[in-house]
Amino acid sequence: MGALMNIILVENNFLLRSGIEGLIIELPGLLLKEVFDGKEKNLCRKLINKKPDVIIINPNALGDNFISIISKLQEEAGIILIGLLGNDCPENISSRFKNHLPLEGNKHLLLEKLRDACGKDAVYPTNKKTQAGSRLLSVREIDILREVVKGLTNQEIADKLFLSIHTVMTHRKNISKKLSIKTVSGLMVYALMNNIVDINEMG
Amino acid sequence: MLIVGEMKLADVIHHDYNLVPVINRFDISLGFGDGTIKEICEERNVNIEFFLSILNTFHDVQYFPKDYLKSFPVSLIINYLRKAHSYYSDEKIPEIKLLISKLIRLSGKKNKTLNLISNFFNDYCKEFATHLMREETVVYPYILSLEKALAEKNENGIVDTELMKYSITTYEADHEDVEEKLFDMKSLIIKYLPLESSDNLMFEEISYSLLRELFVLEKELNEHSRIEDLILVPKVEGMEKHYKSDR
Ligand SMILES: [Fe+2]
Ligand SMILES: [Fe+2]
Repeated sequence: MGALMNIILVENNFLLRSGIEGLIIELPGLLLKEVFDGKEKNLCRKLINKKPDVIIINPNALGDNFISIISKLQEEAGIILIGLLGNDCPENISSRFKNHLPLEGNKHLLLEKLRDACGKDAVYPTNKKTQAGSRLLSVREIDILREVVKGLTNQEIADKLFLSIHTVMTHRKNISKKLSIKTVSGLMVYALMNNIVDINEMG
Repeated sequence: MLIVGEMKLADVIHHDYNLVPVINRFDISLGFGDGTIKEICEERNVNIEFFLSILNTFHDVQYFPKDYLKSFPVSLIINYLRKAHSYYSDEKIPEIKLLISKLIRLSGKKNKTLNLISNFFNDYCKEFATHLMREETVVYPYILSLEKALAEKNENGIVDTELMKYSITTYEADHEDVEEKLFDMKSLIIKYLPLESSDNLMFEEISYSLLRELFVLEKELNEHSRIEDLILVPKVEGMEKHYKSDR
């Protein structure tokens, strides 16, 4: 993707926090945005509001809230969840994660796992073709951008363009990533600037 | 680095000069001399626990100021936050507006992107003002009355039922992110602001200053929200619990 991947870490153990931070620093393209200790109120909403690309979670930090939080996060499109799991982690917890970092792993393995989990694209692509392609919005993304800046909700866009709401959300995430613009009004400036919409179309 | 009272304030500023506007809010300005933080706080009657927790919150994103929570009156926090608000709206925002208007003057109004960015920022300012206004006219007054009421309850058991109707959780739940749009504005400038002006060298110079101001403001606001979310809210939650218990 050629854009920075923002990571949020949920971990209450200081040593582990620092260790993970050290791993993230070593991989180009990854950025540790914020750390939570897992006891915050309304944690789930806070996590989603930060619009991270990746959340690394130690289930222990969430205690009894683990299942409810992880289920909600799994519904969010485009967030990669990575578990920080020990060997003794029970099956019903470990099965919640497609990707995990083993607490017992050595540095090399951990870096590899982290890079794989974040996707090959996370680390800056050396391939020129992907780089050029990733800068421009696709035709589909432009269609969606046009509707977004007109103020349509994800559901309305999905209905209008015959897409699933999940697809719309994934496209929106990709648009924001390519442009590094997160808010609708920021996207609006971009769209006006590039004549994707004109001022008369705006509500 | 954890900042503690025995350190010289000058060393701390050497280490992190972003703290200058923060100490200003405690009426400490440059030229404060050789003293340690402790000495300077005593001299000027500044609550040191509070001062340290603010400095550390600003200095280190990983810092969680929980240990200090109980030790200072909530009115101190509010006093500090209000000063920060007026610093943003009376100094930082006008500075940014001035830089934008300089750029517009240089480009002779023909730079479409610049005009769009300028409108974007003006809209942002309105939203930002609304955010501050809500805190200053609704949230802070509520907290101050709660503080007063708590003292009264402790003294003669009188409870104000009006106060029970509001709760800090409402604020916490929709305390919106005010930095997000600044991030977008930075992106727009970094990636898309074209060089179309009568004096390109000057234009570049001013765009750089503008960008720097946006970075500074974004960082400041980030820490400001952290103080509201991590220091103010938990503190008030504690007060509410206390006030609503065994009445
Ligand atoms: Fe505020
Ligand atoms: Fe705020």
